[in-house]
Amino acid sequence: MTMLRAERVTLGYGRRPVVHEVSLDITEGGVGLIGESGSGKTTLARAFLGLLSPMSGDIWYGDRPLRKADLRAFRRDVQPVFQAEALDPRMRVGRSVAEALPRAARSRVGELLEQVGLDPALADRRPHQLSGGQRQRVVIARALAVGPRLLILDEPTSALDVTVQARILDLLAALDTERLLITHNLAVVERLCRTSHVLFAGRVVESGPTAELLASPAHPYTRALRDAVPKLGGPPPQARGRTEAVPAATGCPFRLRCPLAVPQCEQAPALRDVDGRRVACHRAEDVLSS
Amino acid sequence: MMISVRDLQVRYAGRLVADVPELDVGAGECVAIVGESGSGKSTTLLSLLGLTENAEISGRVRVCGVDVLTASPKALREIRGARAALVMQSPQAALSPATRLGTLMRRALKLHGRQGNDVDAALEAVVLDREILRRYPHEVSGGQAQRFAIALAIALGAEVILADEPTSALDVTVQAEVVGVLRRLRAERDLALLLVSHDLALVSTIADRVLVMKDGAVVESGPAAEVLAEPAHPYTRELLEALP
Amino acid sequence: MTDVQPLRRSLPRIPDRFAAFGAVLLAVVVLAALLAPWLAPYPLDEPRPLERLLPPSGAHWFGTDQVGRDVLTRILYGGRTSLTIAVAVLGVSAAVGVTLGVVAGYAGGWVRDVIMRVTDVFLAFPALLLSLALAVVLQPSVNTVILAIAVTWWPWYTRLAASVAASIATRPYVDAARCLGVPAPLIIVRHVLPNSLTPVLVQLSLDAGGVILTSAALSYLGLGAQEPTAEWGLMVQQGQTLFTTNWWVVTFPGLAILVTAFAFNVLGEGLRNALDPRRAVK
Repeated sequence: MTMLRAERVTLGYGRRPVVHEVSLDITEGGVGLIGESGSGKTTLARAFLGLLSPMSGDIWYGDRPLRKADLRAFRRDVQPVFQAEALDPRMRVGRSVAEALPRAARSRVGELLEQVGLDPALADRRPHQLSGGQRQRVVIARALAVGPRLLILDEPTSALDVTVQARILDLLAALDTERLLITHNLAVVERLCRTSHVLFAGRVVESGPTAELLASPAHPYTRALRDAVPKLGGPPPQARGRTEAVPAATGCPFRLRCPLAVPQCEQAPALRDVDGRRVACHRAEDVLSS
Repeated sequence: MMISVRDLQVRYAGRLVADVPELDVGAGECVAIVGESGSGKSTTLLSLLGLTENAEISGRVRVCGVDVLTASPKALREIRGARAALVMQSPQAALSPATRLGTLMRRALKLHGRQGNDVDAALEAVVLDREILRRYPHEVSGGQAQRFAIALAIALGAEVILADEPTSALDVTVQAEVVGVLRRLRAERDLALLLVSHDLALVSTIADRVLVMKDGAVVESGPAAEVLAEPAHPYTRELLEALP
Repeated sequence: MTDVQPLRRSLPRIPDRFAAFGAVLLAVVVLAALLAPWLAPYPLDEPRPLERLLPPSGAHWFGTDQVGRDVLTRILYGGRTSLTIAVAVLGVSAAVGVTLGVVAGYAGGWVRDVIMRVTDVFLAFPALLLSLALAVVLQPSVNTVILAIAVTWWPWYTRLAASVAASIATRPYVDAARCLGVPAPLIIVRHVLPNSLTPVLVQLSLDAGGVILTSAALSYLGLGAQEPTAEWGLMVQQGQTLFTTNWWVVTFPGLAILVTAFAFNVLGEGLRNALDPRRAVK
């Protein structure tokens, strides 16, 4: 039984849906949610945090839909780690961490800062007096303060310098919590997540074990993503298909960008099992064999 | 040499923020300056076009044969934006929101007295449809805006492109496309390309030579393949090991 | 990430000096008003019919008015009235306006709609008309002026605070507090209010001059301070017919209004920069 899962969740702002009928379990070993801008990944993260109610479908927390669940227990179990601006600019960072603690446990602030590799003396600083990496550690300390079982990480390192990024990833990998990682960075997912879901235009287009997904993608979009990432000393990154084409409103949303599109793609593909993963593509077998 | 720098030192309020003893970029060559935030890499790039405000600059900087530090404002204007084009991280922010891209292109060509230049060829070189000229900046994607900025440079007859993190605000699939455009232009038009980036992997796929900067100083420089395969400086090694 | 920070650091810090200038000027005005009993060369309200409309001289630096009162003395005492009106109006308006504004901005939805419609209703009444109505019900006095202006002034702060608070409410640190289960009122007080205050403070100092001018207009209509109360607006109104013949009666109180409004404005402009937490001391 997974602690948190989405069942046919449609999400949006106003009346316009941006995430369409996504079902997703947060399983053990880390779950990655991969997507580029406009994929709906952050919207989905907000729903998992109970910050946004689904237009249809439900987020399940244990055996109850989130809207009927014990929110106090949920807030203790599930905590976010956001990217930037996640600390009140006017508040000393020690107080930001203390906000998560019951009054009697305020003395634990120093201990929590040490746990994320920070000098407890930094508690008296304000966010702008810290480096980007230090700020991100404070954000993690605050999330850990309530003793969560699941961290929802929204681009936790993408605003940081590479050397800092590497150390934050080490820290996150060493924590003994479950995690849902939202990112556009495939390499980060590879490090932290056993399972991954690729999101395109608000739909899951491919799910499966991260290693297999990246080694042999079955969806043309997953493959385009992978081939676009530059590798040290590797071939120049490849742009496959037309990246400026907007997602299609009907049928497969990727078809206008897809180099493999055929007339059949005007019918929306359902997620189906192909070679140990779930793919929404009529031509998954062709992608795998090409 | 399209860009030639000797003993460049940039100071703000007496503090040394960039110290580059030597930097050369020839036609058809791509040189990358790599570093993290605060390394002085962007300052170096801006100082090559005399775009650093309130900075004290010493040394010798020649761009397209013009000595930037001693050039007259008129000579500097001729270089800037025409023969040497700057491509920034978010070009959309630099485009006037109420001006169609076509109007912008026309005005830029007129400003530099190059009305006769071939806009179609420039757009074709960056894989943009002519239709984009009718659009306003907010109607194009980040990748299109970046490619338009490059097309503008080509149309103006740029011989040098200075690019400051040109793809770091873009999605990876879009980044791949922009990098592809830059690579092709370099080969087909003999452009000199000076690229500032934090991404070693990206740099390794496009640059001939690399300068690694840290805290304002160049800690290592050389052919990209050598520096990245056998880094001599501990900081370069640290950067490489940090790559996920 | 690009490292162009040195550029910003090297910008001259003129705005802060500007703010300091405004603050000093304002301090002078406030001190002069507070110390009026000691600074004033003559007792207040001592008409000397024989000394009517004397031009500025060694004895009367700013001259005397139509009933022979020393203009400088009345300006010093008048500062107390005018500044009290400004502070009281802004205090009441900001307290009411900002409270409603941050609640509307944070809550959104129907709460926001209700608050903003009420605000619109108040904004629909012309300030002077509403004040006239109040004056019919209440006695014309300084308190009536304060009430009348405040009633028409607060909705602007509601609008401002609501728009700022709405943008603060979407910041990740507010989401983080919500995820910790911090109750909404506490989130508003701890995170939304403090981070929404900067533009409000700036607006307050920019508005202070306007309040003083509005109170002068009300006095002109006979709805505000009444003779023999010393108040700048009233002094200008009573002296205006004498402008061509006895310029000092109206010019010096007018200058007092101008200088005070200017001081508040300069302070406001400077605060805009100085209050940005990211510009605070390294």
